Amino acid sequence: MQSIYRFLGRSPKTTLGPLEQQLLEELWTCKSATVRELLDQGTLKLAYTTVMTTLDRLYKKQLLDRVAEGRAFRYSPRHTQEELKKAAAGETIRQFLSSSPAASLPLSYLVEAVSDHDAGLLDELQRLLDRKRRQLAKEKH
Amino acid sequence: MFAARCIGISLALFVLLYVPASLAVSRGWGVMLRLFKPRSARSTATLLFALRVFPFALASVFTFMFTLPSFLLLEPRSTDEAVGTAPLMLGLSCTALLAAGIVQAALAQMRTSQALMKWLDGSTVMDSEVAVPVFRTGKNAPSLTVAGVREPKVLVSDAAIAALTSAELRTAVKHEMAHAQSCDNLKKLFFRFSAFPGMGGLESAWSEQSELAADDAAVLCVKDALDLAGALIKVSRLSTQPQAALTTGLLHSSTALGTRVQRLFSWQKKPVSTTGSTYWQYALPSLGGTLFLVVATYGSVLIGLHQVTEWLVR
Repeated sequence: MQSIYRFLGRSPKTTLGPLEQQLLEELWTCKSATVRELLDQGTLKLAYTTVMTTLDRLYKKQLLDRVAEGRAFRYSPRHTQEELKKAAAGETIRQFLSSSPAASLPLSYLVEAVSDHDAGLLDELQRLLDRKRRQLAKEKH
Repeated sequence: MFAARCIGISLALFVLLYVPASLAVSRGWGVMLRLFKPRSARSTATLLFALRVFPFALASVFTFMFTLPSFLLLEPRSTDEAVGTAPLMLGLSCTALLAAGIVQAALAQMRTSQALMKWLDGSTVMDSEVAVPVFRTGKNAPSLTVAGVREPKVLVSDAAIAALTSAELRTAVKHEMAHAQSCDNLKKLFFRFSAFPGMGGLESAWSEQSELAADDAAVLCVKDALDLAGALIKVSRLSTQPQAALTTGLLHSSTALGTRVQRLFSWQKKPVSTTGSTYWQYALPSLGGTLFLVVATYGSVLIGLHQVTEWLVR
């Protein structure tokens, strides 16, 4: 898990490129694969060397593990999709909170946004309740 | 030395049963829930609580029914045998586990009593005729909650009285009374006493179901359901609620407010069951069968268990 944070902390490379994302998703689906196996699935229309370089980049970013298999490497994701999303969300919030010299300011925006969301939900539930009460009153008459 | 060995062996066997049973329950409670498919929130909450209690009950019953008698009846008192490393280590872990539970429960009880004293300061009795007394509290107290274990009290804040209509307040208080009648705070105290890693999921599922069960108990008709939904919405608009460990507030649960309100909106009167609970149809014969088996094999089980404890001491 620590490696995700190390990776996410290396701003501005906290986001993956589209090809990196695609390959990571392929590996989450098939658990582990060599470059040849990924290409043989037929979903990737890329050159062997492009896939090899991208996987190597993901390995260096500590997002993949690899073991030698003959003359090639077998790659597998180091973290689950959920772990990576959780870490990314955490990092975003951390960056957001440290974005202002006044530490309490971003936090107050966040509380405000959550409160607004809650207030919206409560208003919606209150409207539904009023409607139900009117319906019940009509049925009684 | 005889007494030390007796205590050591008993605690060792207690922990040997308690830990695997707790692990099994913390991993398998979801499977049990799918297997039994309880029909109501109350029966789901009861089943979850029974599962939560099971490891402790099993280990305690086994210790008092089998381990202790087997040792006291079959172990020669004159033998000057040492406790043994394994029973000693296991016994010490059991003592640590029980001591941690006692401290946690005592701390929760103490903090709740302190909070309750603070909340009740300057309060007035609203209704003392009912089974659980209702108090009107001032500022810095939860809007609506039932607090305490031995003598639970329902607390209603001035803010809640001002915000809720009399019908909403009545159903909300009935909800809190239902928590008190099903001894939910006592059950929470037991959770503290028998804290075990990995039980959090089961405990929050129980908490969720006990909220829904209290909702069901408070509601007798569609109007009650809408009043309780109204109370939930209004109380959640009030400022952040102070809480203590052994209290159960109107919104004191992981259950999403939206889900609870929607459930109340679609409330329907359930047909009165004439056949009674089906659980007893299975539970009573199983219980009878188990008792018969225990009585029939008691002697041989004690001998077998004594051999196991002898092996453990060596």
